[in-house]
Amino acid sequence: MPCGGVCILTPVVVAAWPAFSAAVTAAAASLGYSVLAESVDIVSQGVEATNESNRRRVQLEIANSELVTNQLGRDQCISVTRGGVTVTFLRDARGHAQVRVDGAGSSEEALRAFGEELSQRVVQQYVYQRVMDELRVRQFLVVEEETKADHSIHLKVRRWEN
Amino acid sequence: MKERELQIIIAPNGEVNLHIHGYKGPSCLEVVKLFEQIVGQVKSYEKSRAFYEPDEEVRFHIDQHQ
Repeated sequence: MPCGGVCILTPVVVAAWPAFSAAVTAAAASLGYSVLAESVDIVSQGVEATNESNRRRVQLEIANSELVTNQLGRDQCISVTRGGVTVTFLRDARGHAQVRVDGAGSSEEALRAFGEELSQRVVQQYVYQRVMDELRVRQFLVVEEETKADHSIHLKVRRWEN
Repeated sequence: MKERELQIIIAPNGEVNLHIHGYKGPSCLEVVKLFEQIVGQVKSYEKSRAFYEPDEEVRFHIDQHQ
């Protein structure tokens, strides 16, 4: 079979809130986090908890991200937790995806590492869903799908054309 | 019927490695453009030998002339 080429693409996340929160939920589950809450109010609750117990917090941003939403959905957020660490994803004032990592007993470096690992996995899950949805629309058939030990997702898809 | 095949690797950070099979000539670029819309920015693109072969429609016209 002749080969056409090899292409490497850097992801750009331009998502409505439902698609983004679905990616967060899938990524969180794959890393052993459980969803704490998805609402508007949880952010302020998280701030209060941080002030009371002097827990550490780091803030990150998902690069190349834009969360598209209407006026009502502007302040939405989703929080996930694992082993005393809570990661909250929300839309910042510029529309970018912001990540807040809170935890007691963890260094800032550790919290940052947790946040980056989960953020990257969110982007991976978002890209996976986008790719699968678009290929299905274009009538490609998934003939192989495997998640390797390094957590990369391998897909082989085919289509027959006249 | 022509078989088109794509091998897609989505890295843990979301970067996509796309191997395009079964496309000849510039039709390969249409797949790249599609993935640009789906995923994001093209970081690199390496054309294979098949890229420089005429695609099926062009070849059909060449055959008709011979």
